Amino acid sequence: MASGREPGTPPPSRSAAARRLGLGNPRARGGARRWRQRKRSPSTVSCAGSSWPGLAVTLGSSRLHRRPGGLCESEPQPAPRLVAAGDAGVSEEDAEGREERKPRARGRPAAMSLAAEAFVSQIAATEPWPENATLYQQLKGEQILLSDNAASLAVQAFLQMCNLPIKVVCRANAEYMSPSGKVPFIHVGNQVVSELGPIVQFVKAKGHSLSDGLDEVQKAEMKAYMELVNNMLLTAELYLQWCDEATVGEITHARYGSPYPWPLNHILAYQKQWEVRRKMKAIGWGNKTLDQVLEDVDQCCQALSQRLGTQPYFFNKQPTELDALVFGHLYTILTTQLTNDELSEKVKNYSNLLAFCRRIEQHYFEDRGKVSSSVKSS
Amino acid sequence: MAAPLELSCWGGGWGLPSVHSESLVVMAYAKFSGAPLKVKVIDNTWRGSRGDVPILTTEDNIVSQPAKILNFLRKQKYNADYELSAKQGADTLAYIALIEEKLLPAVLHTFWVESDNYFSVTRPWFASRIPFPLSLILPGRMSKGALNRILLTRGEPPLYHLREVEAQIYRDAKECLNLLSNRLGTSQFFFGDTPSTLDAYVFGFLAPLYKVRFPKGQLQGHLQRLSNLCRFCDDILHSYFRLSLGAFSCMNRNQQQIDLGEVHSHDSTT
Repeated sequence: MASGREPGTPPPSRSAAARRLGLGNPRARGGARRWRQRKRSPSTVSCAGSSWPGLAVTLGSSRLHRRPGGLCESEPQPAPRLVAAGDAGVSEEDAEGREERKPRARGRPAAMSLAAEAFVSQIAATEPWPENATLYQQLKGEQILLSDNAASLAVQAFLQMCNLPIKVVCRANAEYMSPSGKVPFIHVGNQVVSELGPIVQFVKAKGHSLSDGLDEVQKAEMKAYMELVNNMLLTAELYLQWCDEATVGEITHARYGSPYPWPLNHILAYQKQWEVRRKMKAIGWGNKTLDQVLEDVDQCCQALSQRLGTQPYFFNKQPTELDALVFGHLYTILTTQLTNDELSEKVKNYSNLLAFCRRIEQHYFEDRGKVSSSVKSS
Repeated sequence: MAAPLELSCWGGGWGLPSVHSESLVVMAYAKFSGAPLKVKVIDNTWRGSRGDVPILTTEDNIVSQPAKILNFLRKQKYNADYELSAKQGADTLAYIALIEEKLLPAVLHTFWVESDNYFSVTRPWFASRIPFPLSLILPGRMSKGALNRILLTRGEPPLYHLREVEAQIYRDAKECLNLLSNRLGTSQFFFGDTPSTLDAYVFGFLAPLYKVRFPKGQLQGHLQRLSNLCRFCDDILHSYFRLSLGAFSCMNRNQQQIDLGEVHSHDSTT
């Protein structure tokens, strides 16, 4: 847990009694307890990324620890023991502080999170990418939905492009395990990062980056196109899944609630639908008809197709995170069977996008012996 | 098209033809493409709170959102983008998405959620333009709508508290402004020498932030340090809107119709 210290060696100048009482580190005397814990345990709290929501959280956090069937078995969480051992005091305080951390975190000033971010990036940079990194998503066959599948595939494509090994694990409660509530999330070492944006920042902190060769204007363009995909394609997918009555009734409700018994499956599905509809109304998509949404998708695909042109990737020879994101969404749209085929027809109109998807699939998924995920092949 | 195109939108102040971002986008686009637009300043309708403003009324149809209004104008052959290549057209869409996703939450926050700004600037301005008793209700509804939008789109776990969301959205907005400034560089408009849709959108979102004086404007301060964006806004105001600072005063409630036709006739670029 604490960096640079062997388990079993007591920290300097701290008595066992002091540790037991929870009085600890003389360096942080008088500071907030929260800050003291943060200094001792690595990779606490905030995000290695700055421009996307989502956080990197330690595996000692309460959410993961309490989930049944979650990640607990792999985490070497020492049982709280009152022995003079280096980590015991840490784990005790963490166990108590964890429950308190959440309400206190709500009032946390913004400046603290910037410092914590820099701290986390430093910690992330010191450890190399482990062999047992895992990516968690929902159950492939019965549960995962279009938008989540697209996001998961985008992250997998990105990690393949960076040549980082990742194992995909399917869990029914992946959405609840994730620190930001979104899938997919990756478990690397003792950190958990969710969503493509923070994952890109995290991987960059470890020293792998796909967009280093781009100049400032190109980076701006890349960010703008990623926002376009999120704004239009992802929102259209969410609309289609949750606001279009036919799809909701036939596919989404059944899939979303499939791991749970009655009546929980219905309750959770309706709750999620209510949340998504509220969000759609807030951003002005509440009154759109399906045709307007499909028109927006068409416009977005046209823009992507025009930007791609005849190049192999969006920024010429080397793939970037934009390529991973576009591949994730387009491939999922093309291979998912919905109530009607209009969405995939819109994408199929653009032959260079089809060729782009096939190229990435062949190069990064089939060649390396992995089968890319698809809900149902069409 | 001989049929008059009438645009209903919020009025102007601080040297701007309109204080509302979306109305400003449509007005700027109409200027760039040469569409003869009659601007009608609205004050006493519920439509403002439902977010339907600006509204374009022609003889047979009513078009409501800026994107749809721009599409409609394009179909009427008022197109500011005909000189753009396909790739530039795609870039336009991408940058508009970037602005809406990263800059808009912070602009909404500066105008409607930050209590100092809201109670001393925004609310009095809007309340002075809406007749009693709606003036007591509408600004509050618009403010709640803005807060709702910010929290629903950006306030996802684990950023539960508004203060943390604020830090995040201001950081994103500053990054977005830097990106726009890098993209603009030293050229006069984003794509060459003639203004296009992207210029209309950027102007629409930046000009209120630039001109309206807020007591707490950290984003405003950041924008003022980016001199090429400020120069961009000033250029458009001087060449296309040609307003003297006294022409649109804050308290001018009697001015119901501003015929942009006569300003339009001075333009030589159409």
